[in-house]
Amino acid sequence: MKTEERLFSWRNSWFSLSLGGTAGLVVLSLIAGFLVLPYATPNSKLGSLWDAICSAAGVPRATAPSEQVAPTFKTSAVVMTSQMPGPTDTRSVGRGATLAMQCAICHASGRHSQPDTPNLEGQPAAAVYKQLRDFKAGARVNAVMTPFAINLTEQDMIDLSAYYAYLPRQPGLHPDAGVPAPAIVIRGAAMRNIPACSSCHGGGEVKAGAPWLEGQSAIYIKAQLQAFAGEHRRNDISEQMRNIARRMTAQEIDEAAAYYASRP
Amino acid sequence: MSACTVGLLVGMAIFAGVHRAVMPQAWIETANPRTVHIAGEFIESNLGSAVEADGSVTVRALGQQFSFTPQCVVVPSDTPVTIRATSADVVHGFLITGTNINTMLVPGYISILPVKFKTPGEHTMPCQEFCGLGHEGMWAKVKVIDKAAFATLAAKQRRLTCVE
Repeated sequence: MKTEERLFSWRNSWFSLSLGGTAGLVVLSLIAGFLVLPYATPNSKLGSLWDAICSAAGVPRATAPSEQVAPTFKTSAVVMTSQMPGPTDTRSVGRGATLAMQCAICHASGRHSQPDTPNLEGQPAAAVYKQLRDFKAGARVNAVMTPFAINLTEQDMIDLSAYYAYLPRQPGLHPDAGVPAPAIVIRGAAMRNIPACSSCHGGGEVKAGAPWLEGQSAIYIKAQLQAFAGEHRRNDISEQMRNIARRMTAQEIDEAAAYYASRP
Repeated sequence: MSACTVGLLVGMAIFAGVHRAVMPQAWIETANPRTVHIAGEFIESNLGSAVEADGSVTVRALGQQFSFTPQCVVVPSDTPVTIRATSADVVHGFLITGTNINTMLVPGYISILPVKFKTPGEHTMPCQEFCGLGHEGMWAKVKVIDKAAFATLAAKQRRLTCVE
């Protein structure tokens, strides 16, 4: 049987009721979601009605200013991204090579680097750049290195890091490829809150700003880990290295240092 | 029958919402992950637990590949606590075992959670969102201590942690 009544008409009680009901539900939900709930939230600190509506709609709010505790020592102010320190050209590498002549006293190329200094050849540019910036700013302090870094300009640091990144990686001081990687290097110690060295320092992944460790001197690696653990070195951004070093045992530090030094 | 089912589900949702079994964040705040360590509330020296003027406690924490800072969070029992945390790089998870505190740290945004710990005790706080190769080593500790003991500590320091 076909009725003559039109479906989409206000005279159709089914239509007007369902549409009216839905519209009413929408209005109720809007009032609840945008007005009632924002004010009902504890500590919401809302001002006007418009603020409540924007807040509920997901418009980012400015952080309420609170008193902050300033650092008592200099922390790293380097903005670290995987694109750091930006594209380089051959002129930058050339300038870096000239500048690097003053570094060669300690960071000599080849196998003549001193045991208490890092090998810089083939290091990611971001790693060298970040440390130079930190030395210059005083976030990292070394009696020998600081006076050199203080005189460097921003361009000097970009050029130096470009030069060292351009050089091929040098073989280690005491290559012995036969040593198996210790657990701390390849797996870390998850039960003691320690990620593997290789998850940031190459082998597994390279984190922006992390130096390549293979072929570094064991004395240098050990000294840095101990400095991080003992809060003598604090230029790692937001304690990312101190958090790890302070959890490592003396044996793990020795193993990691010996392993990396033995890598070709 | 179906009306009953819908009623039951709606009832469960309301119960979960009112009793904070689910914790949707009430508003959005942002933080630049590249510069959190240079300025703002997530600088190294400002992380940890702070006592507010109203007696509540604010915990500020940062997740990064592959650790939480601070590595050990100390909070008082039976006190309103607001957790404010963010990520400096990728998405991390923020979960305190034995409680219903569970959220994500998304770079660019601040995760804000109002919580309360009933009794003193120790909890682990693992990253529960795969964040890279060192993910499994990324966790922190949460120590809930007696209200009075916390007040004694807070009288000496403005930002508290239990990092050893």
